[in-house]
Amino acid sequence: MSTTAALVALACGAIGTYFARSGLILLLADRALPASVERALQNVGPAVLAALTINLAVGSRGLGEVEFIEVAALIVAGLVTVWRRNLIWTFVVGMATIWMLGALT
Amino acid sequence: MTETPHGTTGRGIVDRQALTDIIPLAIPAIPFGFIVGLAVTESAMPQWVAWLTAPLIFAGAAQLAMITLAGAASLWAVITAVLVINIRHVMYSAALAPTFRKQPRWMRRVGPFLLVDQTFALASLQTHRAPADFRRYYLTVAVTLYAVWNVVVPLGMLVGPVVPESWRLDLAPPIMFAGLTLLAIKKIPAAVAAMVGGFVSLATIDLRDRLGIAVGAIAGVIAGAIAEQIIERRACTARPRPPQEPLR
Repeated sequence: MSTTAALVALACGAIGTYFARSGLILLLADRALPASVERALQNVGPAVLAALTINLAVGSRGLGEVEFIEVAALIVAGLVTVWRRNLIWTFVVGMATIWMLGALT
Repeated sequence: MTETPHGTTGRGIVDRQALTDIIPLAIPAIPFGFIVGLAVTESAMPQWVAWLTAPLIFAGAAQLAMITLAGAASLWAVITAVLVINIRHVMYSAALAPTFRKQPRWMRRVGPFLLVDQTFALASLQTHRAPADFRRYYLTVAVTLYAVWNVVVPLGMLVGPVVPESWRLDLAPPIMFAGLTLLAIKKIPAAVAAMVGGFVSLATIDLRDRLGIAVGAIAGVIAGAIAEQIIERRACTARPRPPQEPLR
């Protein structure tokens, strides 16, 4: 990615994020969003994050090229997240799984 | 979380209760910030631009998406991914708008820049405070998080080049995103949104410029909304009806 393209991405990301955070505080301080819109917004985070996880894990290699240790680490990390509800555990156990399986295979 | 009877914790610039409250939420941000720093060193973006995402965007998941997608996806796909990830902040903005209305103009403009998940989670529980007290609490939480984040990301960048390839830290971002996804699921419709988002993203993996992310996300949000409606309808039909008066 060229420096110009990266700067454009950074500027758009920064400005867009600021307006997402400030827009309703600045413009609609005394009005509420329709309940259906608020409920739909609550599902945006999980949907986007799940799509990103899969896309980053599989990448452009295709499903057939995904490594066994990667899938195992994702499953173990997922189970630990549900159990501990803590991202430190997710990272430590996920990476430990990769290192242990990598040493064994 | 601690709370005093009157919701205030003394005078001064720093709110002690806010400092106590933020510690358990700031600690998990440390390894995540470290991973973002590591990702910066492997990004297709110029490193100094990738680093600027920490002080200017200040949103872990969106930063990680921008840094890792750069080079693999088109410019517009990268921007769209960042904006779509951060759209949840609109909800935070909507929820805190009535409280911010009582704040001075500078606070209404500066405060939202620091409005991240953890800040919202804590500040939304303190909206009963007097405006000045709320402001002190909010800024203590938000500035502490901002400082922690902007120390940890450069630390990750320093350590990144020294880490051997065999450590497979390239697999860290999907692991962190998987964790974030699961932590974001609080209700059944959110779980449906995540599952459909993931499956559709997988089904559309061959689309160019990583468009599968946007397609998956949209499908997930729609599925979540449908699940919400179904659950609501079932709740309505399951609710016992009030006894009707006999017809005369």
